[in-house]
Amino acid sequence: MRSETPLQRELQRIQAPDEIDALRRAWPLVRAALDAREPIAWPRRNLRPLFAVAVAVVILAAAVSPPGRALVGSVRDAVGTEKKMKARPALTSLPAPGVLLVNASNGPWLVRADGSTRRLGPWSEGSWSPQAKYVVVTRNHQLAAIDPNAMGAIRWTLSRSATVHDARWAPDGFRVAYLNGRELRVVAGDGTGDGVLRARVGTTPPAWRPTADHELAFSTLDGRIELVQTDSAETLWRTLPREPATQLVWSEDGERLLVLSETSLRAFTADGRKLWEIGLPVGPSGVAFVRKSHRFVMIRFAPATGRSDLVLLQAEANRGEPRFLYSAPGDFGTLAMSPNGMWLLVGWVKADQWLFLRVEGVKAKAVSNIVEQFGGSTAGVPLEKAFPKSLSWCCPASP
Amino acid sequence: MVGPGRQERSWIRGAQAGSASDLEALFREHWPRAHRAAFLVVQDGAAAEDIAQEAFLAAVRNLDRFDRKRPFGPWLHRIVVNRAIDWARARALRRETAAVDAGDEYDTGDLGTFSEGVAAGLASLPPEHRAVIVLRYLLDYTPGEIADLLDLPRGTVNSRLRRGLDRLEELIDRERR
Repeated sequence: MRSETPLQRELQRIQAPDEIDALRRAWPLVRAALDAREPIAWPRRNLRPLFAVAVAVVILAAAVSPPGRALVGSVRDAVGTEKKMKARPALTSLPAPGVLLVNASNGPWLVRADGSTRRLGPWSEGSWSPQAKYVVVTRNHQLAAIDPNAMGAIRWTLSRSATVHDARWAPDGFRVAYLNGRELRVVAGDGTGDGVLRARVGTTPPAWRPTADHELAFSTLDGRIELVQTDSAETLWRTLPREPATQLVWSEDGERLLVLSETSLRAFTADGRKLWEIGLPVGPSGVAFVRKSHRFVMIRFAPATGRSDLVLLQAEANRGEPRFLYSAPGDFGTLAMSPNGMWLLVGWVKADQWLFLRVEGVKAKAVSNIVEQFGGSTAGVPLEKAFPKSLSWCCPASP
Repeated sequence: MVGPGRQERSWIRGAQAGSASDLEALFREHWPRAHRAAFLVVQDGAAAEDIAQEAFLAAVRNLDRFDRKRPFGPWLHRIVVNRAIDWARARALRRETAAVDAGDEYDTGDLGTFSEGVAAGLASLPPEHRAVIVLRYLLDYTPGEIADLLDLPRGTVNSRLRRGLDRLEELIDRERR
């Protein structure tokens, strides 16, 4: 150590704020990164120089003998397999059965398992009915139920005074909730009996509680989350006012509700008891439950580095150590879990790609040129505006 | 730069082979200084935590490529300090855009026990100068080592050090009087 100056003494005295807790928070993520990487076993690492020599021998052999040339061919094949892991230029198939509903910049599209895509007419956005028989769509003042298997034929339609958006079909198919400006309304699944449920609410898309009898979570104007029985209009529980929620997501069994806001994520039980809350840095975020479980994937953006991470947590009293799944520069914009629960679709906005990641494992597939494949263009438009803003993978539909 | 001690080499070897306890030992050894260095450059508690965390994650992801004969600290500090400079520059740009009041220019509210004079002095320096001061006086690198870490000519490091020191010594003296 060099001789200490007064400045050095001052600097050495400093502790960063919250230093111990920061260490405690960071360790699980660092540990998870160790688990997530594919370690190179000791013998393999030591074999690298030998491998280099072997390659040189192969090249020499190729130059002098037909069997050698065959061996070079097999090496070339191995390299080609690696190249196949790079982003494909077009979506030619989905890695799991099901149909994707994509809300692109120019409206809703369907993507079938064979990769075929079709635009669902001149609508702004859409959402699945429980068994994907219909899609509820909106455009300006109009709400409609259309049949995706009959060229988007309209089954029923309603017009309202304000801008209609964020329609959601109840899990039993008998109700549709939607926002008409700041008004929360509910209509029967056949388009009859439309009525106001609450006159002024927040802008968060409402979320039906699965397995329950017409229970709907929504955000109020003052930032509360409220669960209401829509047939009786009775409030079952409500939280204290907080910052406005951006996303409400139920677990498949309806026992857990995640409330995502700009700077926090809260987990609740079905009876409104808060399990925990975590702070989030401001930036793109999102959550999606793993099928048939209380585990969920969260997008965590780090403004300091401009990277987004995907981490796995659980909506239990003990949320567990975050398990690191994937990381990339820029924003992850959308998340959807495949119906068989094995694949996670992540929209990687900055790269104009969709990433299909295996939830249990390290396998990943990437598809590029997403904006273009859904009829969009990035000419003069920021990528984040042109990129599809939401996805739902059916059936049952991912939230 | 001095090579790593036997203990550190053993932790790195263990972590490369997948040992969580060796990685934890390495993490606990290096976290406080990495976190403090980031904090002194960016002067923002949350950002410093993110930067230190991201630097460790990047280090772990590239652990297999790390040469065990080299010390871990400089490798990590290079990531931390460069990311901290990038973040501080980005913040300065955002502030220009937002045209905030001059009084809001630097947030020294999180500096804890750090002397007000040194805090104000550091905050008044550009991030690149702060980084050089932190590498020299907190992390104890020589100007030549700093030049290597930041990919800068040694003369630039020396001039940044001199200018930064003049400003800080002046403020420390003023505080003592």
